Amino acid sequence: MHGNDPHSDRRTRTNRRTFLKLTGTGALATAGLAGCVGTEDGDGGDGGDGGDGGSDGGDGGTATPTEDESMDGEDGGATETPTGPDSVLVGQPAAVTGQWDFLQPAVSQSADLAVQEINDAGGPLDADLELKRRDTAVDPQQAREVVRQFVNNDGAVAINGLFSSEITPLWDFLQEQSMPVVTPWPGTRFLDTRGGDKGTAGDTGDDEWVWRTVIGDTVHTAGAAQAMVDNDFMTMGVFNGTGAGETGYADAFVDAYENLGGTVAQRVEVPEGESSYQSQLDRLFDADFDAWVLALALEDATTAIQNWSQGGYGRQLMMEDGLMSPDLIDAVGEAAEGAWIAAGSTQGPNYGSFESKFNEAGDADIHTWGVASYDATNVLALAIHRAGETSPEAIEQNVGPVAREGGTTVSTFAEGKEALDNGEEINYEGAVTNVDFTQHGNVWGDVAVSQVTPDGFEEQFSIGADTLQENIEQY
Amino acid sequence: MALPLAQEIIFGLVIGSYIALGAIGFTLVYGLVNMINFAHGEFVTIGAYVGFLSIQIAGLPLPVALVVTFFGTAVIGWAIARVTFEPMNDAGAVPLLLMSIGLGLVLRNLIRLVAGAGGRDVQVGVATYRFEDLGFFVTSQQLFIVGVTLLVVLVLHLFLSRTMLGIAMRATAGNEDLALVSGIDTRRVRNVVWLAAAGLAGVAGILLAVAQEASATVGFGQLLLMITAAILGGAGSPYGAVAGSYLLGIGIAVSVAFLPAGVTAFGSTMAFVVLILVLLVRPGGLVNAEVRTT
Repeated sequence: MHGNDPHSDRRTRTNRRTFLKLTGTGALATAGLAGCVGTEDGDGGDGGDGGDGGSDGGDGGTATPTEDESMDGEDGGATETPTGPDSVLVGQPAAVTGQWDFLQPAVSQSADLAVQEINDAGGPLDADLELKRRDTAVDPQQAREVVRQFVNNDGAVAINGLFSSEITPLWDFLQEQSMPVVTPWPGTRFLDTRGGDKGTAGDTGDDEWVWRTVIGDTVHTAGAAQAMVDNDFMTMGVFNGTGAGETGYADAFVDAYENLGGTVAQRVEVPEGESSYQSQLDRLFDADFDAWVLALALEDATTAIQNWSQGGYGRQLMMEDGLMSPDLIDAVGEAAEGAWIAAGSTQGPNYGSFESKFNEAGDADIHTWGVASYDATNVLALAIHRAGETSPEAIEQNVGPVAREGGTTVSTFAEGKEALDNGEEINYEGAVTNVDFTQHGNVWGDVAVSQVTPDGFEEQFSIGADTLQENIEQY
Repeated sequence: MALPLAQEIIFGLVIGSYIALGAIGFTLVYGLVNMINFAHGEFVTIGAYVGFLSIQIAGLPLPVALVVTFFGTAVIGWAIARVTFEPMNDAGAVPLLLMSIGLGLVLRNLIRLVAGAGGRDVQVGVATYRFEDLGFFVTSQQLFIVGVTLLVVLVLHLFLSRTMLGIAMRATAGNEDLALVSGIDTRRVRNVVWLAAAGLAGVAGILLAVAQEASATVGFGQLLLMITAAILGGAGSPYGAVAGSYLLGIGIAVSVAFLPAGVTAFGSTMAFVVLILVLLVRPGGLVNAEVRTT
């Protein structure tokens, strides 16, 4: 079981990760520690790696699917596995601590809900899907170690998570792992032209391995800009923080707004954590404009909004999507009354059925990333099932085919599994978007513009994804 | 007729007031305990949460909550210092400095663990008074913040100059050995210093909680400015710290008004430009008196 022969012909295509997995998980199996260890009559060793191009590597492994046997993304939907694994592990890097930890509960609740449903339906490849969560604190270095642990020690077959601020600096590292990453978090424009399978599902040679189930900043900033222009706010001020997320949002908004014919009269950048933003607001409102956009993290945004309200500067306020939080309402619901916020609509094709299940599953506050987490988990499970094996390469080849247009429309893993077992192609339609991945692994969605009231956010109107696509060249 | 720079000076006085309340305590500890306390920002944070509990949970009016916060934070800060810093009082400045860095990190994360990641909002009604002809506005909150700070400075002055304990503190700051042989209970003086420093940090904390919110990093975010103000004023001198704080605050506010629009984020950086310039001219800070040299 774990006496791998280093000279075996079958291992000629085994890469470093596979080697580490084989040796590492072999030892773990001996110790009885692994949550993802193959059975003797299963995949021969790593539990999650049934094929890997035929390089499974178990010394006595039998019935290991080969590339020919596995589904490569181009062929049909048969998923019968002679002997599948008992369990399949997916790693979830999570913001359990750190400045974004307030967003994690909904993401965890959604992912756990999806896993429960998936396992109730028999699981991918009739195996239990396990989701192992490790904390990255949204720190790139910690995220690197967490991914390493998933890949080398835990035997994870895919990653379900990672933030923009982790993906961007770790891009080359993630490419080296050759492990599919389907994440509900990142909005970064960095991914607009990176990630996905480049539209060639059967060929991983050009793949960039990262997929996101949440719409990118480019889309919802375009929606925000469209909303302003549609309402005749043709001159604006921009007030943003200096963090990567805030400047990224502001840059994207300015680009979209100016492309639509708007003019930015004044832009003021401010450092985070100031005790007061009165000076900076005074500077901004020296200029003449119709409306202004605010891109700051929540804590600083509440300070700025209080200062804005107290200073009586007026004019229509548009806020970045990250501020769509009940905490904002609690802090400045009255001061910000009437302000707009443009965010990816949480309500995709199957949001209705998801919402009731989510509310029964726990008490986390729902948000876009939480809903997108449900979609990411389902897409991964369906890709594993369609792949017919658990090698990362095979899963990567099947992420696009289970979600893109064409085939039977499904909204849950159970429906998808049934259709795949019947030999049908499937099109997973999600809770937050329809999850029709672009060639770069991105999704489109409507942008909803809501108004702040003392009691919460009230949706006013939405900008359709079709409208936004007309003005976005690459995504 | 609009008064030139009136609005910027008001903003600067408010920023300076937050800094001053923290810087006074920081510089008192430096002068009398002979340590640079990098955990001072966490005393501010504790004050913010005590203020939050006083106003939002206990329902106390702001002036009463201010008093409660002063004494509450003073006791908590003193207790922390008793457990952590006092046992290593003779270890020298560097071990104390390292201890304070570690303590700050521990406290910051402990607060985050206990109080949660999100901020806690402190709701206080605010009125805005506009003087259109003179070209500025001022809010009741801004007046309160500046007023409280000036009151604290006045009380501190009276305490240091008119009470035996205050005089003992000044004597200890000047020469601890001489103060000791003169019969001053320097241990008691250090206790009072920790109480005062933490209490004043607590007042800064509640005012920051009102203006921003109580969060685990609210004090840490002000620490660099507090240290800068203390050094600018002349490390160890509370009066210098107050002057340094207001110079920094006004410097930041005015620079934001005059910097090119694309680089307004460097407004806070101007505080350090001021610091460098002042130290080049007066190495001992504004009051030109470095109290401790060892």
